Order: sequence, then structure tokens, then C-alpha cells
Amino acid sequence: MFDLKQVTKIYPLDGTRRVTAVRELSLSLKRGEFVVITGRSGSGKTTLLNLIAGLTRPTAGRVELDGVDLWTLPDREQSALRNWKMGFVFQFPSLLPSLTTLENVLLPVIFRPAPDRNEVTDQAVKLLEMVGLADKLNALPRQLSAGQQQRVVIARSLINEPEILMADEPTSNLDNQTEREIIATFEKTHSLRGVTVVMVTHSRYPAIRKARALEMAEGRIVNDSRS
Amino acid sequence: MNLARLVYRNVTRNGFRSGVVFFSALLLAAVPFGVTLITEGGRAGLQVVLSRLGADLLIVPEGAEIKVETALLMGKPAQAWMPRQNLAKIRRLPGVAQVSPQLHLATLAGAPCCSAPEMFIVAYDPATDFTLRPWLGQQGDGVLGLDEVLGGSQVSVPKEKANILVYGSPVRLKANLARSDTGLDQTLFMTFQTAYEIARMSSTRAAQELVVPTNQISAILLKLQPGVAPKDMVARIGREVSGVTALQSPELLRGTRRELTGLLRIIFVALSLAWLLSVAVTGLVFSLAAHERRRELGVLRALGSPRRVVFGLLLAEAVVLALAGAASGIALCLAIAFWFHKAIVFVLEMPFLFPPPALLAALIAGGLLVALLSVGLAALVPAWRISRMEPASAMRE
Repeated sequence: MFDLKQVTKIYPLDGTRRVTAVRELSLSLKRGEFVVITGRSGSGKTTLLNLIAGLTRPTAGRVELDGVDLWTLPDREQSALRNWKMGFVFQFPSLLPSLTTLENVLLPVIFRPAPDRNEVTDQAVKLLEMVGLADKLNALPRQLSAGQQQRVVIARSLINEPEILMADEPTSNLDNQTEREIIATFEKTHSLRGVTVVMVTHSRYPAIRKARALEMAEGRIVNDSRS
Repeated sequence: MNLARLVYRNVTRNGFRSGVVFFSALLLAAVPFGVTLITEGGRAGLQVVLSRLGADLLIVPEGAEIKVETALLMGKPAQAWMPRQNLAKIRRLPGVAQVSPQLHLATLAGAPCCSAPEMFIVAYDPATDFTLRPWLGQQGDGVLGLDEVLGGSQVSVPKEKANILVYGSPVRLKANLARSDTGLDQTLFMTFQTAYEIARMSSTRAAQELVVPTNQISAILLKLQPGVAPKDMVARIGREVSGVTALQSPELLRGTRRELTGLLRIIFVALSLAWLLSVAVTGLVFSLAAHERRRELGVLRALGSPRRVVFGLLLAEAVVLALAGAASGIALCLAIAFWFHKAIVFVLEMPFLFPPPALLAALIAGGLLVALLSVGLAALVPAWRISRMEPASAMRE
């Protein structure tokens, strides 16, 4: 599914200094895998996720999805690919503050050509039921707890029925109980829908059955194992 | 949920940001629209005075040009005199088609003998008149009888009275001229015969006698023969008739026009500065807003929004606010011009008429366009820059 070939990502810090976040990394991810990327802060795991998702351009190397180099695609096609095939859960609060819960879940749909309005609204309500927020359809993000907001984000990430779910430290700001619930939701989504999950998490990564664990250090994968 | 709703939500739920852009747009539209409305209104007023006079040249006593202008524009009574024989001298000049004399008189301020507190009176000679007669023709028999007057649009008979009292003499208001929003609206027109009769009777009827100097007139209206250049006639009169000034129609009310031009220059400079300031403020607001919303816009990109959609979203928000602000600004200007019409005339000392509907529509469209282009211009660079960012960079703190 994903093939990263000799990928390097360098960020400029200022006029002369630069930092290499990912170094000549090669990696293959298969359809239906549950991949957990761990590593210490600054090890390059978020950059790796962004590279896989096409959210940042590699300084060198290629990122391929089903044999197609993502960065040879024009912006319109690349955006459509993210919209149709990928769902995102970010570490930071990523709901639009001006939209209600239901509208936030429906947000990715507006970039799709002519969706069936009733169908997608029903789908959004079902997803909110799935994450236990059916009673918060018209709530604004500021009226929700951090955990509830993150569950709305998970519902939003699934609205377009993606093949791949990208999650960047989705539980870092949550308490243990909520973290367990969120991870359980990911596992459930993975097992029931067959969605490929690529999840970045901090070092104390949660026990996930049948997950592939990639450990990163200094921009390289230093351990690739399966539980 | 669709893009239009997203624009609506972003605009309505970000009060401060939207408020600043809204008021910038309001200023960007209201200032040029208001200024143009007033200057065009002034121009339209001048045009009305010129067309109402219906003469190619207006000849007044030397040095009385400004007084006569003020009287015609503002209805402020003015008296100036020149010998009646000037009329014959000018009539004899080659190229003259018609001449008609006028007397410029005034009612008394606050005197019980006069109904109106202070009113400009123009007496004309029905035998030679060519400016009022065509208009009077539309109103009936085309003549004003003795003790009959024609009033400007604001002249009316006092309540519970049958006639207007001028220097103790009752005169009947035969008709009113159409509104011009100039001094003509407060002017009373009567024949020479009526004016002389009122003057004769004023010694016994009024607190103060109305004196009309014998063999003196105030102004001469002149119509040229076809093919004669007005400026040549002005030069000829200057050479051959002493003690008078001939004002050419286009140059008539020159003093007021000069004031209007001076005012326009000042306004243009102020307007340019205000425009630059508003564009800069709007640009700054958009830059700050775009920066503040970097992460939000990065999320949109990650969720599958193409660059052009993010760019369009930001511009659409700008357009909505620009149109709302500009429409409010223009409506405010129109309301002020309508409700404070008299105050504008008083402050500017200039006539003011709402421009014709077509011009008004063009001004409104122009005001909207100025605000739209200015706000659009201010939003363009921040919108372009943010839409070109990589999603990951935009989402990074």
C-alpha cells in the first residue's frame, strides 16, 4: 500500500541551521495493518506520519501509495486522495470552533463532489452514536471536554469511510480511562471495517493486539516488530 | 454542510475579526460614496440653476458677481444696481438675439409687513423675458398679472392667509416652480409692474419703504444668436460696456465651482489617505486572522481541501464582509443625505440635489466595487500565502 523509498525530511530552522527529522528511511506498509509508531520526542515520528499522509513533501526520496508517487500528483488529486482514502486524528484540538459537532463531522464531505446530503448526515449521526456523542450533535467544540472533542475527531476521520486512518498522538492530552476508550475505538474500527491504522504515540504505547510497532530514534526506524 | 455555510459560520462566529473588516469596508465604501454623492449633488444643483436661467450670459454690475451667485444658489437676498441704459447698449451689440432685465430685491428680515422672514425677489420684464415664460406657459395662460407671483418650491402662503404679504402688499401665489434645491426654491418671481407697485405702496403700507432706484436694473439675461461664441461676446461687452461683468454660462457660478473644485482636491487627498489606511488595516487584519487560523486551515487542507478551496474560502469571507460593510456604509450615506439634507446645504453653502437615478445607481455600484476590490486586494496576499503552505507546516505551532 505505502512505500517510502529513501525518504529524508529536513526542516530549515533559520537562515543557516537545519534539522533532519527523517533520514533516508525506507518502509512498506500493507493494507489492513495496525501500525504503531513510537519514539522519544523529536525522534521524527510525527514527520514520518506527515510524510506517509502526504502532508509534507520529502526533501529527498519517494512516497508511493499503491505504486503512485504522491508528489507527482497535482494538488487537486492529492487533496482528493487524502479526502477519499485517509482519515486524520491529530494530537491538538482540530475541530473548527465555529461549527457544531455534527457539522465538524460532516466537514470532510464538503470537499467531495455532490454527496447525498441525507445519507451523509445519517452516517455522521451513526458515527457520533458509535463514539457515544449522539446527544451532542449541536454542541460547539468549546462545550465539549477534551476527550469528547477527540471522539468527535475520530467520528470525523471516518465519515468518508477511509482506507487508512492516520492518528498523531490521539490520546496524549487525555486521562487513562479516555485513552483506553479511544484506543478501543481505533481497534474496533480496524477490526470491523478493515481500516489500515497508522498511529503515532509516545513511548508508553498502549497494548494493541496484532499491531506492528515501529520504534524511531533520530529520524530512523530502530525497531520494527509485531505484537 | 457546504462551503457557503462554512463561510457564513466563519463570518458570523468571529465577531471581532468580522467587525473590523466590516467597518473597514463600511469606511472604504461610505467615504468615497458620500463625498461623490455630495459633490455630484452640488454639481447637479449648479446645473439646475444654469438651466433654469436659460441664458447664454448673465450680465451683472461689476464687483457684484459673488453676491449674485450667492443669491441664485442659496436664496440669500442680494441687491446690486447698474444703469438701465446698459440694456440698450448691449441689445445693440452684433450677435445678441435677446436681452431681458431683472431687478433683485429682498423682503425684510423679521418685519411684520412680510410673510417670509427674508426672501430673494426677482422681478422680470414680461415683454422681453425668455427664461420664465416657457415654464409659465405650461402652468396656464403664460402670464403673471399685477399682484401675482411665482414662487420657488419652498414658497408658500402662510397658514390661514389668502395671500403672501410683501412690504405690506398682498400678492397671490399663482404657481410654484419645481424643486431645485437651490436658492431658486426660496425666490419669489414677479413682474416689473408688480415690483414697482409694491415699492410705491410700501411708503404707506410697510415699516420700511422698498426703494427701487429709478432707471436702475440688477442684471441682464442675454441670449446669443446662433453661431456666436459666448466668450467673444463676453470680450466685446468688456470692451464696449463699462461697469458690468458678463458671466458666461459655463463660467457662471465660477466662484462656487472653484470652491467645489478646491473641496474636491482636499477630499481627494483625504480620501486617498483614508483608502490606503483602510486597505492597510484590512490587510493587517486578514494577515493576523490568517496566521491565527493557520492550524484550522491546515486541518482543512489535511481533510482534503485543495489549495484553491482554502484560497476561495478566505476570499469569500472577505467578499461577504466587504459587501455587507459597503452596503451598510452606502445606506448610511443615503440616509444622512436624505435626513440631513438641509444641514448639508447649510454647511457647504452650496445647492444639493440627489443625482439622477442612473448616476446614483452608478455611484452605489462604484462604492460597492471600491470596497470589494479594496478588501479583496487586502485579503489576496494572506489568502494566497496560507493556501500555498503545506498542510503539515500550517498545522505546526
